[in-house]
Amino acid sequence: MNACALEVKGLSIKFGDFTAVDDVSFCVNKGEIFGFLGANGAGKTTTIRMLCGLLTPTSGSATVGGLGFSDGGKGIKRIVGYMSQKFTLYNDLTVGENLDFAAGLRKLEPAYAKKRRAELFELTGFDRPLSTMVASLPGGIKQELALAAAMLHDPEIVFLDEPTSGVAPASRARFWALIRKVTALGKTVIVTTHYMDEAEQCGRIALMRTGRLIALGSPDELKASAFPGPMTELDFNGPAPAEFLKGLEKAPGLLELSPHGMRWHAAFRDTSAMAAALAGLPAGASRALIKPSLEDVFIRLVEGTER
Amino acid sequence: MNGFSLHRAWAIARKEVMHVLRDPFTLALALGLPVMLVTFFGYAIDFEVRDIKVAVADRDNGPAARRLKEIFSASGYFQVLEAADPVGMLDSRRADAALFIEPGFSRDAQGGRPARAQFVLDGSDNSKGAVMMAYLPGIQRAAAARIYGLEPAFAPLSVETRFLFNPELSSRWFMVPGLAVIIIGLLAILLTAMTVAREWENGSMELLLSTPVRPLEIIIGKLAPYGLLVLTGVFFVYLSARLVFGVPFEGSHLLFLLACLLFITAALSQGLFISVAARQQQVAMQVAIISGLLPSMLLSGFIFPVESMPAFFQYFTMILPPRWFMVAARGIFLKGSGLAELAVPLAALAALSLLLLALALKKFKTDLEP
Repeated sequence: MNACALEVKGLSIKFGDFTAVDDVSFCVNKGEIFGFLGANGAGKTTTIRMLCGLLTPTSGSATVGGLGFSDGGKGIKRIVGYMSQKFTLYNDLTVGENLDFAAGLRKLEPAYAKKRRAELFELTGFDRPLSTMVASLPGGIKQELALAAAMLHDPEIVFLDEPTSGVAPASRARFWALIRKVTALGKTVIVTTHYMDEAEQCGRIALMRTGRLIALGSPDELKASAFPGPMTELDFNGPAPAEFLKGLEKAPGLLELSPHGMRWHAAFRDTSAMAAALAGLPAGASRALIKPSLEDVFIRLVEGTER
Repeated sequence: MNGFSLHRAWAIARKEVMHVLRDPFTLALALGLPVMLVTFFGYAIDFEVRDIKVAVADRDNGPAARRLKEIFSASGYFQVLEAADPVGMLDSRRADAALFIEPGFSRDAQGGRPARAQFVLDGSDNSKGAVMMAYLPGIQRAAAARIYGLEPAFAPLSVETRFLFNPELSSRWFMVPGLAVIIIGLLAILLTAMTVAREWENGSMELLLSTPVRPLEIIIGKLAPYGLLVLTGVFFVYLSARLVFGVPFEGSHLLFLLACLLFITAALSQGLFISVAARQQQVAMQVAIISGLLPSMLLSGFIFPVESMPAFFQYFTMILPPRWFMVAARGIFLKGSGLAELAVPLAALAALSLLLLALALKKFKTDLEP
């Protein structure tokens, strides 16, 4: 437990009668990419905002980099970096002005800020002049620069709230490569997302639903615990026959049946249950064993419990 | 460690200056508004009434009647039009007033008896009417002197009015110093109302708050540049009042600066409060324009004297900083009023500034601190 960069115990926050985050406990290891996955309103952003010292929890405790909330989050603000969902950088200022502003708010010495800037430009591969207006930068670059601004004071823990929303897919991949570089430096990164492919790249994922933490583990662990048995993909080469599906839904040992485009994913408790359930598969249909994806996990754990 | 940091306030102020320099709208507003107001109130709007058209029906045609008409036109305020039907001209608005000189006017005057002429004026424009009424006694005295050969001193009873401080009753002298109230009242409130709302709207307030920055540092950093910008506008008004319009400055410059700073603080705090409460630039802008312009323009005494307002409004204006600043600004400019004469307006201004600042700070802090 000594390796916890951040530890949360029974954290809750209420806004009036509404419990936005409900009794959440977890530990984030140093140097880890820790992802929050969940639908909108699941409490991901609220949890992150508490851990950055922007909100005070109603109950529970948390230590971030060894610091608590006794000082109203002031100490925490000093040692973490935060990149919010909505805002990245001031569009009407230049790259240099934005970074100078971030340095000014953190009271960094000019020489130190300059050194950090060079290091971060190196890390992010930013090579445009400082006088470039932020408004003229493409979305992906802007996001990388925003990360640089959030890391100017060399924080040990970096919080990224949906850092790639509204960014082109190629730039998203670039940004995630950057996140991995950051953790390679020994930093801890806590990130929220609702992209499954991004969640796959996290060391561990906390799955949230209506304020509660419903599962926690590495992508493989989550898959193994949600789907202990085999999963198969059914392709009917056309519209799925309704009677067969109806029968399949009631088959004993079926854990999950969900449509994926024209195909269906069916998960079973074990191989014998699968063999029994698929005995009557129509002639034109094909089946293939697949590894469950995080999306399957998400559907089973988050949406499945909502039914 | 938890104290106020000038360094962070300075970082915010510097960023704010960059925003202003890059935003054509703000810059145009800050520089254009003072120029526009001075031109507008200095040249275009003239509250003095000249060339009042008087339709004269002269049914006497004698020497005294001719003299009376000469007196009217020689005054410089009236333009005499001979007319058969003066009332018709009043109705069709071709004349502002009518003068009826009945037969026998000259005969009575020559005989030393009181000669009567009737002056009818259009009361539908009451400001013009009031000015005409004010000019009439002068005409009457001039007529007594020219027609009867009496010196004004010989008149049994005469009231002589002398206007102190603004002997020519020039409306420019009166209006131009008062423009400072509009510039501060509108510009300071509008600019600050936009600046904090903008940070809420684009989400950057959240980022500011994720750093160790404190609410007071945000406030100082945001208000200082706009305070300075507004003060520049006031300085421009001062310069144009003195150099272009020749308005005298009788009082102490230091006292004027103090009054400006007090009113600026009140206006910036009001803008901040609007911004914090509204959180949206559109809403903040509308509230700022209404709550900034209307009291400064209509209730401060800038155009309409507070003393002639209904009793309720006279009391109501007491909670409006523009009213107190207006008294102080005109007093210092034209009368050379000192600290002793202006103790009440300045104290009221200081109290209202503190109140507004405390209100804005409190609202800001409860919103910002988790």
